[in-house]
Amino acid sequence: MKPDRLCESWIWSLILVLWFSAALVLPLGLRAEETYTFDFSETEKKPYHFSGYLEARPVHFRADTDSALYKLRFYNRDEGNTLQEFNSKLQLEGSYEKDIIRLYFKTNTDYKHSYLGGDEQSTFYEAYGSIQPSYSFKIDAGKRNFKWGKGYAWNPAGFIDRPKDPEEPEIGVEGYIALSADYIRSFSGPLKTISFMPVLLPVSKHINESFGKRDYLNPAGKIYFLFFDTDIDLIFLAGGSKTTRWGADFSRNITTNWEIHGEFGWIKDYQRTFIDRFGKSDTDEYNAFSYLIGMRYLTARDTTFIFEYYHNDTGFMEDELRDYFDFINDGYQVYLDTGNVEALQTAAVLTEKNYGGNNPMRDYLYLRIIQKEPFDILYFNPAVTTILNLHDRSFTLAPEIVYTRITNLELRLKTSIIVGSDDTEYGEKPNDYRLELRAGYYF
Amino acid sequence: MWNAIVLFVVLIFAVPADALDGTDLLKQIDRNLNPESFEMYRKLINIEPDGRKKEFTLFSVKKGLDKIAALFLEPASEKGRSTLRLGDNMWLYIPAVGKPIRITSLQSVIGGVFNNSDILQLDYAAEYDVVNVDDSGSEYLLFLKAKTRTVAYDQLKIRADKNQKLPTEIECLTEAGMLIKTLYFKQVKDFGGGIVRPSYVETDSPLYKGYKSVMIFGKIKKRDFRDEVFTLTFMPNIDSLR
Repeated sequence: MKPDRLCESWIWSLILVLWFSAALVLPLGLRAEETYTFDFSETEKKPYHFSGYLEARPVHFRADTDSALYKLRFYNRDEGNTLQEFNSKLQLEGSYEKDIIRLYFKTNTDYKHSYLGGDEQSTFYEAYGSIQPSYSFKIDAGKRNFKWGKGYAWNPAGFIDRPKDPEEPEIGVEGYIALSADYIRSFSGPLKTISFMPVLLPVSKHINESFGKRDYLNPAGKIYFLFFDTDIDLIFLAGGSKTTRWGADFSRNITTNWEIHGEFGWIKDYQRTFIDRFGKSDTDEYNAFSYLIGMRYLTARDTTFIFEYYHNDTGFMEDELRDYFDFINDGYQVYLDTGNVEALQTAAVLTEKNYGGNNPMRDYLYLRIIQKEPFDILYFNPAVTTILNLHDRSFTLAPEIVYTRITNLELRLKTSIIVGSDDTEYGEKPNDYRLELRAGYYF
Repeated sequence: MWNAIVLFVVLIFAVPADALDGTDLLKQIDRNLNPESFEMYRKLINIEPDGRKKEFTLFSVKKGLDKIAALFLEPASEKGRSTLRLGDNMWLYIPAVGKPIRITSLQSVIGGVFNNSDILQLDYAAEYDVVNVDDSGSEYLLFLKAKTRTVAYDQLKIRADKNQKLPTEIECLTEAGMLIKTLYFKQVKDFGGGIVRPSYVETDSPLYKGYKSVMIFGKIKKRDFRDEVFTLTFMPNIDSLR
């Protein structure tokens, strides 16, 4: 066994021991506490607050050595059939309030130790100041998230947010620097609330560079209505960094245990770049209309179903993705025959810029089933999630168990099984399955 | 014949008279429990059969019959989460998720025996009609029926102290009469401002054998709010009300 592997095995063992120790030993200490009291000092408000989140997440992969993306990533390495990776995360959050002014920040530091060695990345996810002269009006300036759209796994109308990972949609992402305001009015009658959020989002060499073309000030906005017990948002993005976009979403409860939601985003003159199997690049331009429809349903047995159908009009067609995989496979064969890596390097760039995003094709189904506290085991919530590519029928299936019995400690064990034939989105992923353990502590 | 007609007329008018008394009584119980608009600090404790517990501290604000919001202050894993209820509509805001999502009254954002409608309780008279009132010496027994099918419990049986007009026990039942949970109201306390009410509510459920949950009321104070406080847009800012 290589020294690195030995080290990773030790890390795995240590994490497992800590996980089970936390689950079994710590609660014994808590059993001594019996009295039910309310210490009012807990409710005292201070002008500042500071909190954080620390996470350890070891991951074990079973590689699919015949897949296109495995060949692309490991063509010149021999890492064997299994891979281990250790991830950790530290998030710090703080705020200071005085009168109508509030300052807030949230940092994120990710550390990954994988076959490539150690890698650490730190950034501010959010850092902004707010002025709230009244309950109905607020101005924010700085880096923040907007999270527009009602979709759970995808947001075709999330025009000024970074895309989220549909396999982990509740994990925070980095925001953009912007100036925004919130104005709220409430009424009696069927129209209960209107709120308007105008946004100005600048893009220059040092500000929001990844958003789009530089040297533009992009106006965006969202108008929200609560009308006949239905949440409705109308959304737009204008300006030069990206083409004009319009969107809308809705959400409402049909019954006490059944919610439905929908969302669409229309993008004017969307430009899409793709390659043929020989690597020749082509671009087409069209108005893209992406949409999503979904529901959340709770049964009498406390089982929650979250279901969504997503049409991604900016995505690739089945034959286009097949050409991309063929280009990688051909490039790999050229590398084996001649040692020439040019095609594989081109494919790596294309993967990063075009094809490597989450769910790059057109039509998907998402289903998540969560069983709350089965067998009367409090704070124990098993779930299973699947994302199905409707074009090539490949999918991922991810069962998990979450345990939150210990205050501020969340333990999750999750497996992701990937199923798909050759030339399909999931079938060409670099691994067959992965097993991960996540221990997160809030402080 | 005339006797039958007289009896029929008496019965017609007798039923609404009883119902009216019951409705008034229920409204008095509501007002004795809370002012119509208020701010409140509560602690919720889930207790397991072996005595282990998990605690949550909440700051809540309510206005009128159908607007209530709550903000989690403790523990750190829940801090900053807020819930909002406008009539039958409920939302949960999780800071990491960054936007409010609709939730249902039967779910529980904290786990345990209390569900969302227990945590975001509106006036009983806003959600229930009084079907019958029994006068049994030192207490009243009120039988309530949900006004709509969107209410979390179809039926309630409220035992109320006759002198104080405060509940001592509430049974929550399904439409078929199956017991979902029982709430026990204890330790009447003077919170100031004329608010005298039980400060300790305990609940158990045949669906969670051996488990119980406790709600301890710390501070309750009359306070009026603007309607804009009870909106999705304001959910991330509820802490600014403290």
